[in-house]
Amino acid sequence: MKNLFSFIFRNVHWVLFTLLLSSSIVLIVNNSRLQRSKFLAAAQEVTGAIYSVTSAFYAYTNLKTTNEQMMHRIAELENQIHDFQYAEEQADNMVRTSGIDIDLSDGIYQWIPAKVINNNIAKIENYLTLNKGTLDGVAEDMGVVSASGIVGVVMSTSAHFSRVIPVLNEKFRLSCMVKNNNSFGPLVWDGGDPRYTYLTELPRHVDFEVGDTILTSGYSTIFPAGLLVGTIATFEKQKDDNYNTLKVNLFTDFSTLSNVLVVKNKYQQEQKQLENTVER
Amino acid sequence: MSNSVLKQIGLFLLLVFLQVGLFNKIHLFGYATPLAYIYFIIKLPGDTNRNVVTALSAAIGLTIDLFEYTLGLNMLACIIVGFSRFYLLKLFAPRDIFESYVPSFSTFGQAMFLRYAGMMAFLLGVVLFITEAFSLFDPWTLFCRIVGSFLLTFLLIYAFENLNNVGKARR
Repeated sequence: MKNLFSFIFRNVHWVLFTLLLSSSIVLIVNNSRLQRSKFLAAAQEVTGAIYSVTSAFYAYTNLKTTNEQMMHRIAELENQIHDFQYAEEQADNMVRTSGIDIDLSDGIYQWIPAKVINNNIAKIENYLTLNKGTLDGVAEDMGVVSASGIVGVVMSTSAHFSRVIPVLNEKFRLSCMVKNNNSFGPLVWDGGDPRYTYLTELPRHVDFEVGDTILTSGYSTIFPAGLLVGTIATFEKQKDDNYNTLKVNLFTDFSTLSNVLVVKNKYQQEQKQLENTVER
Repeated sequence: MSNSVLKQIGLFLLLVFLQVGLFNKIHLFGYATPLAYIYFIIKLPGDTNRNVVTALSAAIGLTIDLFEYTLGLNMLACIIVGFSRFYLLKLFAPRDIFESYVPSFSTFGQAMFLRYAGMMAFLLGVVLFITEAFSLFDPWTLFCRIVGSFLLTFLLIYAFENLNNVGKARR
């Protein structure tokens, strides 16, 4: 027993090394689960505050204000468009099922302007930080778009900041469709060039043309249908695979991303609950 | 004593700030990112307890991870580098130093210090990028990342060390 203790004491640096090493491995393995934890939300407040400082340092002041005004204007207009689309839809429904009174003033989607204060594109798992949090109405599983195309999905939030898993993360999956023929499949990134991503699991019998537009399919509660994603960069017919894969040239330039909009779906919870009960 | 501890804390904060605010945004040719925070582990005094070195390495790695949302990744690499430092010092530190010393050009000599720092930086790059690539293996990209980042980090350490010496010469 004495020998054992003296052995451990002599090799205490190995013990510490092994302990720390295994705890870091546990952290890596549990990474995606931990990222939604309360502890990290608290840490996010601190890191977010520091990133706000550095991003303020990077941004040119005058460009910032004009950009923000523009984004607010876009947010307003997008809200209006969706209000009108919703109203039109409701009016159509009313014609068919007349006599039912529905509130026309409300759209399903709301748009919250936000600013990217930290951004990575060089890694395999990239993340963004936005300067809006739960206090501004941002919550988990909301979509994020830029003026040119989709950006990603909010994965965790703290009071003033939120973390986004962007298209450029190999864990990101989103159902998208080709505009010309409505065939759809998941959008997946391969960890390589940040300008391109891949639309996978497309039916083999359909032909695609280079330059066709890719849109969100709307088969989720996160994004409305028809948001811009990118264009087909290359298409080669597969010979030995049951599915086709398209290389997609993204509209959003992630290397210069600054102002974005968070998409809030008012009925997301309701739809999810319904879908869950049906699945059970 | 307390003066050198304060210096270490200052270096820790400065390097973390530079790393997350500046160096993490650099992706030369899409591959090379300087890993400047290794300089903290390199510059810990030579007679620091091995356990303290490992623990401090874990601390700076975890701090970087918190900013990058890659929990455990930099921590793992730093722990391995911090732990190996003991053996690297045995290899590269001059044998005739008896009092406490901080690894630098003046205590090690330029060639030996660069070899020591280079080994540390290379080890960090290898462990970090291999761990990161675990889920997605592409040898060529991996190679580019390791070599590119190593070269940038090495250059930075050289620059830091020269700055340090200029400061000392003025004093």
